[in-house]
Amino acid sequence: MIGIVLVSHSEALANAAMDLALQMVHGARPPIRIAAGAAGGFGTDATAIASAIDDLAKTDGVLVITDLGSAILSSSLALEIRSSTHQVVISDGPFVEATTAAVVGAAAGGSLADIAADASNALAAKKSQDATGQAASSAEHTDPGSPVVSAEERLINPMGLHTRPASLLVQMAGEFSSDIELTNTSSGRGPVNASSVIGLLSLGACKNDRIRIEASGPDAPQAVNAVKELVLQGFGELS
Amino acid sequence: MSDSLTMDAIQQWLHRFALEITTQADWLTELDSAIGDADHGTNMVRGTGAVVAKLNGGATGTVQELLKAVGMTLVSSVGGASGSLYGTFFLEMGRNSPSGEQLNASELEKALRAGVDGVVARGHAAVGDKTMVDALEPAVTALYQSLANGLRLHDSVAAAAAAATTGRDSTEPLVARKGRASYLGERSAGHIDPGAASSAILVAALAATVGEGTAQ
Repeated sequence: MIGIVLVSHSEALANAAMDLALQMVHGARPPIRIAAGAAGGFGTDATAIASAIDDLAKTDGVLVITDLGSAILSSSLALEIRSSTHQVVISDGPFVEATTAAVVGAAAGGSLADIAADASNALAAKKSQDATGQAASSAEHTDPGSPVVSAEERLINPMGLHTRPASLLVQMAGEFSSDIELTNTSSGRGPVNASSVIGLLSLGACKNDRIRIEASGPDAPQAVNAVKELVLQGFGELS
Repeated sequence: MSDSLTMDAIQQWLHRFALEITTQADWLTELDSAIGDADHGTNMVRGTGAVVAKLNGGATGTVQELLKAVGMTLVSSVGGASGSLYGTFFLEMGRNSPSGEQLNASELEKALRAGVDGVVARGHAAVGDKTMVDALEPAVTALYQSLANGLRLHDSVAAAAAAATTGRDSTEPLVARKGRASYLGERSAGHIDPGAASSAILVAALAATVGEGTAQ
């Protein structure tokens, strides 16, 4: 599992972002370190960031997530002064959204490269829901060469595909080797990869929206069935 | 080339820098309250105070080691962008110094150039972005040109300090393109950049130290 370092000017902000993200995790929690504040006030401290990174030397790589400008600057200096040598990526994603994407992705066992990409694109979910409600449709499409198994279901849980169900989906998608993609056929948004919580959120799928589930790979039928079941059970949110 | 900066002179420079920062702390904070978070004076006083404490705690062996220790102290005590940038400045200076116990004029010029290049690389700032670089870049250029023209070290460093002051003042009409002040956009114009101001103090402290003859 990868580790995550949250770099913020404010310890309270970092703790709150971490707690918010951890609400989506129901199994083993990814290792998270906070490097926040400097000299007892607001600020960032490259030496504190370096020791947070060193502290996670036994993980499968570390994603550093930053808030305002100097957090990135201090993090890049931290990479120079740290004593460990494992792989570290500094994310350019927005703090809260990237933290959520990274925590969920790490808990699902994602690789550093995948999670870093997901965190970097974490604004997509917000951008796709602009004031007019117009969709920014995704350009990603399934490889036409691989056989695709698909199903279409209606969302029945009251809140639609919000963060908690999205993170359940990501964790489930991690159990299959097939590529799973979801499209909101009611709004035309997608397809998006089911291994990305941010991608799933960008579908903006509400109750009664129809979701097409497509999978390609060796266990595609099982993967589609599993996702279908999850949708049919309302992600466990039906009272 | 007998002009050189001894370990003593380097420490003298840092003591003077700390003293000047303390004297001008209110002004630095005032500048920062116009376009930033009003803590540059306080942060720099804390950082340079930590450097002085470090120096008083016992001198380190070589120029390299001294400058590295100063850099690390600033990184962990100033906080925020200034800590990382001033830290980078001294770390890079140290990394690009010879391993002896003094810097001759050309070694000093090379080390300062490396320090400024480090700040530029770390902050991705260029001249005109309303940052420390606006004071530091012309200072090292002036130092290089003066030495190349055959001037003595104390005259060359004085030219560098004058260039840093001019550079500092040039930030006043600029619109910030880097750092927290950039969020203010046009409203950042009309104020001297606090980082450029503290950088000019750093170069002035060097000129005063060399001019006083602590350097040989």
